[in-house]
Amino acid sequence: MGDKGKVKVIFQPSGRRGEVDKGINIIEASRRLGVDIETLCGEKRVCGKCKVRIEKGSFEKFGVVSDPSHVSAWQQEEEKFITPEQRASGYRLGCVAEIQDDILVFVPEESRAGKQVVSKAARDIDINWNPAVRIYTVTVTPPTFEDPLGDFERMTQALEKEYGLKGLDIDWFTLRDLPNTIRKGEWTITAAVWMDKEIIKVWPGRVEDYYGLAIDVGTTTVAAYFCNMRTMEVLDTVSMMNPQCKYGEDVMSRITYHMQTPGGLERMSDDIIEGLNELVRKACEGTHPPMKKKKDETGKVIKDESGEPIMIADPEEGKTYLRLEPSDIIDLTLGGNTAMHHILLKLDPQYVGLAPFPPVVHRSLDIRARDLGIGINKSSRVFIMPNEAGFVGADNVCVLVCEKPHQSDTLQLIIDIGTNGELVLGNKDKLISSSCATGPALEGAQLAFGMRAAPGAIERIKIDPETHEVDYKVIGREAWLAYSKPEEMKTKGICGSGILDVLAELYRSGVVEKSGRFSKNQKSKRFRTNPDNPRQKEFIIAWANETSIDKDVVITQKDIRQIQLAKGALYTGCKLMMRRMGIDKVDTIKIAGAFGTHVDREKALIMGLFPDCEIEKILSIGNAAGDGARVVLLDRDMRVDAAWISRNVEYIELTVEKDFERQFMESMQIPHMTDLFPHLEGLVPEEILHQK
Amino acid sequence: MGKEELREELLKQLHEGVVEFEEDKVREAAQRVLDEGLNAYDAVMNGLAAGMQEVGDLYDQQEYFVPELLMCADALYVGLDILKPHISLEDLGDKPKGQVVIGTVQGDVHDIGKNIIKMMFEVAGFTVHDLGRDVPLEKFVEEQLRTDSEIVALSAMMTTTMMGMEKVIKMIKEKNPNVAIMLGGAPVTSDTATLFGADGYADSAGNAVQEAIKMIGRLREMQAKWTDN
Repeated sequence: MGDKGKVKVIFQPSGRRGEVDKGINIIEASRRLGVDIETLCGEKRVCGKCKVRIEKGSFEKFGVVSDPSHVSAWQQEEEKFITPEQRASGYRLGCVAEIQDDILVFVPEESRAGKQVVSKAARDIDINWNPAVRIYTVTVTPPTFEDPLGDFERMTQALEKEYGLKGLDIDWFTLRDLPNTIRKGEWTITAAVWMDKEIIKVWPGRVEDYYGLAIDVGTTTVAAYFCNMRTMEVLDTVSMMNPQCKYGEDVMSRITYHMQTPGGLERMSDDIIEGLNELVRKACEGTHPPMKKKKDETGKVIKDESGEPIMIADPEEGKTYLRLEPSDIIDLTLGGNTAMHHILLKLDPQYVGLAPFPPVVHRSLDIRARDLGIGINKSSRVFIMPNEAGFVGADNVCVLVCEKPHQSDTLQLIIDIGTNGELVLGNKDKLISSSCATGPALEGAQLAFGMRAAPGAIERIKIDPETHEVDYKVIGREAWLAYSKPEEMKTKGICGSGILDVLAELYRSGVVEKSGRFSKNQKSKRFRTNPDNPRQKEFIIAWANETSIDKDVVITQKDIRQIQLAKGALYTGCKLMMRRMGIDKVDTIKIAGAFGTHVDREKALIMGLFPDCEIEKILSIGNAAGDGARVVLLDRDMRVDAAWISRNVEYIELTVEKDFERQFMESMQIPHMTDLFPHLEGLVPEEILHQK
Repeated sequence: MGKEELREELLKQLHEGVVEFEEDKVREAAQRVLDEGLNAYDAVMNGLAAGMQEVGDLYDQQEYFVPELLMCADALYVGLDILKPHISLEDLGDKPKGQVVIGTVQGDVHDIGKNIIKMMFEVAGFTVHDLGRDVPLEKFVEEQLRTDSEIVALSAMMTTTMMGMEKVIKMIKEKNPNVAIMLGGAPVTSDTATLFGADGYADSAGNAVQEAIKMIGRLREMQAKWTDN
């Protein structure tokens, strides 16, 4: 053991190592050392995803002697997730085991937080060009003894004369750039003006193109659209996992982290700001030619003094590169759910987590990028979208700005599915919104083999009604199981879209009854009682030889119950909102969210995610939240619209409806206990659809 | 049909009616219990409550889920509404009974789990003081003092509201250390329960139901013993 109070920890297979404080748990140590371990439940000891193995032995290479006894005593909760055999070989839950002495920790593949496959591509949407930041070029006469007017006044007089911009102000940082810039451009200068009020950037000479970023800060994923502000073209879409995921997967666990950890809010905020800066860098990097190692004539890599290879640009022939820097980003818009919004801005989020869930602020904000620590053009302001309510945030405003239901006759139901489901119903006459606690089950968390959308995750399933045999497809492999060798599948678990498929297919094929219970009439050997747990009934989706985790991937009765709870919450939300509006059907249902692009609408209807609707009228609108952020980046009038939307969509708390309990209960059945689904006739066998 | 035979038959019908959530069957059987002059308390405890006990087992085996549970509860209440007014004080006289204060803590509006537990307590013969949901923390203390209840059952469905439980426990224990405090709700773990100084804990609605069912079971055993003596 090293210094008093410090212990050495090495994580394998990543090889990350370092000294940490004695007494912290393995998850906390993994965070400090930059190792990503799944913690879906936010260290509440209920998801069992953070299983790790404490190695036994002396590891000279690292100078440690590791032993399972070097962590705190075994806790009862671990029994649920760790078999006696695993326990004997040193397995523990990372959130339970506190480090007492030096250890070497092996993180099994299933516990590693995999790189998520994100689907947040930009869609074609109609946007009216009217950005908050516009650029203007003027040429002024150089000062003389007769006309020794200051540079700023010289420029603003010209801007007023040529473009009618009156009473312009300038940010101090930009003012400092002015004298040299105006001379470098030989008295021709281009100025970026924010909201016809303030000059926030000057360039020498004439500039035509300028750039902005629209960012959607999701609980799980952060996506940025890099736009040319003149042509409105999307140059690039860059995305990343929200770096706050390590503090818990859902909004509530992050708020709790803040409530329980001194300095937690600052830490989470710093993390997301750092993440935004990384996105900015990533976006700019894409405008530069790729780099390659510099080689001499013989093809040998040339190294610098410290032995690192020297990198040089490797431009593609005939391609022009914009070669942009973060300081070239002139405007930035941000949308996110209310909790993400609050945490980013270091606004205390705890009241958002307590009924009646009031946000700190509804209105939009313009905050200097430098005040937030975002490294774009220094004088620029970041536009923060307004919030509707505690559980319907700026991201929902983005969705509405993009879909414009407030300008349409069509009666639409917009569903944004995430860890929290956000619902908007109505048209230009009236709009109401609500949220429902779908929980993370639809995204794969809390299920025995649930996982994020990463390679190896089952995303599509078919079950044969005659034989109950299963065919499926995993992310990262084109061919379905039927066209593959078992060992080629490398299956690891089931992700969100796969989960919808599973329930729909289990029901349609008769493996599971309407109530969600496994049918007594099973046709395959896939249905079984778990060998280690006689209380657990399960259905095998993938046999062990098809997986990379060496065990059968199953869906348990408990998993099905979890999905039922989630889908029941969403269905109830839709139904109660429709009742509030006095309608029993809608013209169209739009599904948003990264999730939305993956949803098989037929399967979604079969499993009863929402009330009956013509299948052709169910639309996927992709990441509408990100598209909305793009709309306000390019059209300042929509910022006004956003403000109007945020205060005029009526938020309704559904859980306080008198018969919520009964509605929720009925909605848990597949597709519903009593509601009819005429549009499923023909898609689902009659004897299944009309079972008692 | 002899009287004992009839009793057995009606208890069976009440039991099955609850398990199969057939309200009509329960209604009919409960009415016959009264018409035939049988003991209402016996019908509740050994018919309805016994049925609910089986429901708990089915839930435990994941054969039943929340919808079935709530439908069983509906059937149960049909029977209770008919029989309860006819339970004589003598029946209750020397048998154990208790009072429980129950509610969802401040900031939380989820109460399905709480309602299920409440029903279980009622079936078990407890007098239940239901404070509803989004209950200010002080209200639990006041209600406990006012009613002198032996048990306070707190529910929270969100991690953020769970934090309020600790305060309630402290406040109650300060005033009255003998009160037993039960915690329940999705985010609560046995660790939090211990940490907060609670006496009992249920890790989910399901588990709470089982706990409550076990309590009914124990209660019935105790009563059976006393009746034998």
